[in-house]
Amino acid sequence: MREELITTIESIAARYPDRRSALLPALHLVQRHNGGFVGSEDLAAVAELIGVPVSEAYGVQTYYSMFQRKPLGRYHLQVDTNIPAMLAGAQTIVAHLEKVLGIKVGETTPDGLFTLSTVECLASCGTCPVIQVNDRYFESMTPERTDALLASLRRGVMPDLPAPAHFGSTCNVLLARRGTPNAADIEVYLADGGYKALEKALGMTPEAVAAEVKASNVRGRGGAGFPAGVKWGFLARGTGKPTYLVCNADEGEPGTFKDRQIMEFDPHLLVEGMAISAYAIGANLAFIYIRGEFAWIADILERAIEQARAHGFLGTSIRGSGFALDIIVHLGAGAYVCGEETALIESLEGKRGNPRLKPPFPAVVGLYGSPTIVNNVETLASVPYIIEHGAAAFMRMGTANNFGPKIFGISGHVRRPGTYEYPLGTPLETLIEAAGGVVGELKAVIVGGLSVPILTAREAAGLALDYDSCLKRGTMLGSGGIMVMNETTSIPEVALRAIRFYAHESCGQCTPCRQGSHTVEKLLERIVSGLGTPADIDLVLQLCGRIKGSTLCPTGEAFAMPIEAMVTKFRAEFEALVS
Amino acid sequence: MHLTIDGRVVDAVAGQTVLDAARAAGIYIPALCYHPKTGKAGRCRACVVEVDGLRGLKESCALPVKDGMVVHTATPKVMETRRMVVDLLLAEGHHNCISCQANSSCELQDMVYHLGVERPSFLIESEPTPQDLSSPGIMREADKCIHCGRCVEACQNGVVNEVLAFAYRGSHARVVCDDDLPMGDSTCVQCGECVQVCPVGALVLRQPREQKIRPHETTATRITCPYCGVGCQIDLHTRDNRYVFAMAHENQWERQPNKAMLCIKGRFGLDFVDSPDRLRTPLVRRDGELVEASWDEALDLVAERLKAAKEQHGADSIGFFTSAKVSNEENYALGRFARAVIGTNNIDHCARL
Ligand SMILES: Cc1cc2nc3c(=O)[nH]c(=O)nc-3n(C[C@H](O)[C@H](O)[C@H](O)COP(=O)(O)O)c2cc1C
Ligand code: SF4
Ligand code: SF4
Ligand code: SF4
Ligand code: SF4
Ligand code: FES
Repeated sequence: MREELITTIESIAARYPDRRSALLPALHLVQRHNGGFVGSEDLAAVAELIGVPVSEAYGVQTYYSMFQRKPLGRYHLQVDTNIPAMLAGAQTIVAHLEKVLGIKVGETTPDGLFTLSTVECLASCGTCPVIQVNDRYFESMTPERTDALLASLRRGVMPDLPAPAHFGSTCNVLLARRGTPNAADIEVYLADGGYKALEKALGMTPEAVAAEVKASNVRGRGGAGFPAGVKWGFLARGTGKPTYLVCNADEGEPGTFKDRQIMEFDPHLLVEGMAISAYAIGANLAFIYIRGEFAWIADILERAIEQARAHGFLGTSIRGSGFALDIIVHLGAGAYVCGEETALIESLEGKRGNPRLKPPFPAVVGLYGSPTIVNNVETLASVPYIIEHGAAAFMRMGTANNFGPKIFGISGHVRRPGTYEYPLGTPLETLIEAAGGVVGELKAVIVGGLSVPILTAREAAGLALDYDSCLKRGTMLGSGGIMVMNETTSIPEVALRAIRFYAHESCGQCTPCRQGSHTVEKLLERIVSGLGTPADIDLVLQLCGRIKGSTLCPTGEAFAMPIEAMVTKFRAEFEALVS
Repeated sequence: MHLTIDGRVVDAVAGQTVLDAARAAGIYIPALCYHPKTGKAGRCRACVVEVDGLRGLKESCALPVKDGMVVHTATPKVMETRRMVVDLLLAEGHHNCISCQANSSCELQDMVYHLGVERPSFLIESEPTPQDLSSPGIMREADKCIHCGRCVEACQNGVVNEVLAFAYRGSHARVVCDDDLPMGDSTCVQCGECVQVCPVGALVLRQPREQKIRPHETTATRITCPYCGVGCQIDLHTRDNRYVFAMAHENQWERQPNKAMLCIKGRFGLDFVDSPDRLRTPLVRRDGELVEASWDEALDLVAERLKAAKEQHGADSIGFFTSAKVSNEENYALGRFARAVIGTNNIDHCARL
């Protein structure tokens, strides 16, 4: 390995409390410098440098889908084919690429220029179809734009193909600066009143800050809706170990593309939220675990952190308060399960993203065995508003027990798919209207990201988009990723594509999820291809019913519930395929 | 403290898990990934139970006991889940106990038997993967692996040879040696610890397999390993008084010097006991020829010569070498013999040669 690579890896390793955390960054780095793959020799060198056995390094490398063992084409074209992409016609793009490149998915062109792959949700649901080329996104792709992309790549140039996104806000908290030019720049943020909340927080005691957050009742926006203030209260105290704050920016739930709006267009809002939260919980080191595909957003965050440090909003004594905080941006490497908080912690420690048995919960034994708070980007980005304007102001938005603003991402069959910030409790119809209305006739909708039960049009009518109302209707608000399906949608095909995702992403630790997802995938394949029997439908339902509640982490439920709901609620469609 | 398991009041001590307490009371709960030596893993989900006052299923291998806890190990929900676990494990592998080396010493087979499963509920076709016969002592058969993780934990953190790891993920996840090398080409030192903890036939010893002898056909005799002074406790498996294979003795493993681990010598090197070259009686040289003698003859001869040497040349004309292959007690005895009986300090040990 080249000397400067070794030096860089060493300096990365020195930033972490445990150098093993540098394993993923090192693999990313070597892969980038090595033409897109890490072979046996380099892997052994990295393993030795970091100080892990080769076997474990190999286990880590092969766990993450972004790491390659063999060289690929110079441009790796990765087409997202998950549900939102499927609804937006990603298959057309795949077919088009196969035709013009003369290769099938998984192959490389003879000139070594292009490798074509299909990948799982890239969190571009509002601007699908999307093609990721190496570490760049090309969104809102059509066959014509795809041709332009290929022509430019053939000339050796990564083109600029802007894809305007739709967005809107009625709350002006989380997406307040979404349309402001250069809002990622600290000067723009400061001019808009940025970092005032942090200054205010530093004038309060940490306990008072935590109490204000608790009083606001802000519920975690990562999916589970657990009150952030209550979670902070579970932190183990007096352990003699440091406390860590981890921002969950994995954004892997299909249908979800909200956190990237904050990170890409208003990164200081997140940095400020993290600084306040870290102050409240007594953490001096914080991490942003961001999905590996968002490399360019990670760069934006790094720049924001650098600026914040230069302005004294991060560093050894923030604004002279004596409170110290540093934030490390840590890239994942392609693994949905790493969004689950304990898997995320394992991954951050340089391991396979295998969820841990709970208890103990991260607030007691988390990162490096220390008390750790994991919060979603949107949760943390809500904190500056709560501190600056007070819990009462926050609670004026939303409905009882479901307070505050929420970014909803709408994709699928609507005219203006995008991200819209509305108070919790807003009727689904309002959101759909904001998104330009349904194209065709509403057949079904998934309101909380792929992992929640689907609703028929009838069930969805008048649904208030908040945690409790969704629960009452037999679904969940989850991440607020809304996928709208019209009458042209085949639910069995949606179910098959959905289970393929989970089978691909299962960490493989526990029997019901590892083999259950695989088995349900095989059964649904059989059904959709017309080779199934009515007994297969019953078996899918039986398995889903038993998988729920039997797995090590919630991922088992995350597929068993939605598949069960699709089959139960649209059974006639499945039966038509097997009769 | 006491807890109630399936209506029976059983004793438990703080720090135990529900599984520990159940096992101590002779109540069977299948547990495929937990092993006392490798700890809880939560992977197999076979051990789930229901507990009054706790929501949903709980893995008994990770659930600490509490006084007054009321545990149910056979509710419809539990039985359904166990059945699913078995069905899925059978569907994911290629299990055929009829020809499996682990037949009769397989924890999956036991679980299936206890559940009374006649045949799997469904079949999912998959391509068989070849056996790994690249190493001299161990056969690996991925199709029988149930992903319990015991071998990985044992190799990484028990014997710390750091050879085995899980690679890939989901249904593609599998145990590999180093960066996916055949075991014989990897850094594996053939200690066999992975075989020792594997609950099924995915890792088996080649010695019995090549003799076509399965575990239920052998008799285990506890011995102390004759190779070195650690004193590893071994179950020597024999049939018709002949060596078949060796496993570490696991009873009260925490109290044993080897904690139920072995090295390559104890694991595979005991087949010499049946060697035709092995000396079975003492040999005494007569007229330049070594001839068989009885122990009495031989020992008398030694005593006589030692005495003569001491009388003629003094005690320090005699020296003793003892061996790393004998126990501490035996070494001590020889030390006493040299110093107290012969009267010399000339005693040394082969490990210093
Ligand atoms: C399979 C799975 C994937 C998840 N993915 C994410 C994710 O991408 N982002 C996220 O914030 N939370 C995700 N979560 C939820 C986290 O485990 C955790 O609850 C959350 O980060 C806590 O933050 P919050 O309380 O602020 O919502 C996921 C959970 C599961 C089970
Ligand atoms: S349910 Fe089990 S296999 Fe699935 S992701 Fe969680 S731990 Fe891994
Ligand atoms: S591993 Fe166990 S269940 Fe599988 S074939 Fe062998 S004896 Fe049967
Ligand atoms: S024989 Fe020993 S060193 Fe080899 S893989 Fe098994 S446990 Fe590891
Ligand atoms: S080889 Fe055996 S011990 Fe290792 S994971 Fe598979 S079943 Fe478990
Ligand atoms: S023994 Fe408890 S989960 Fe495997």
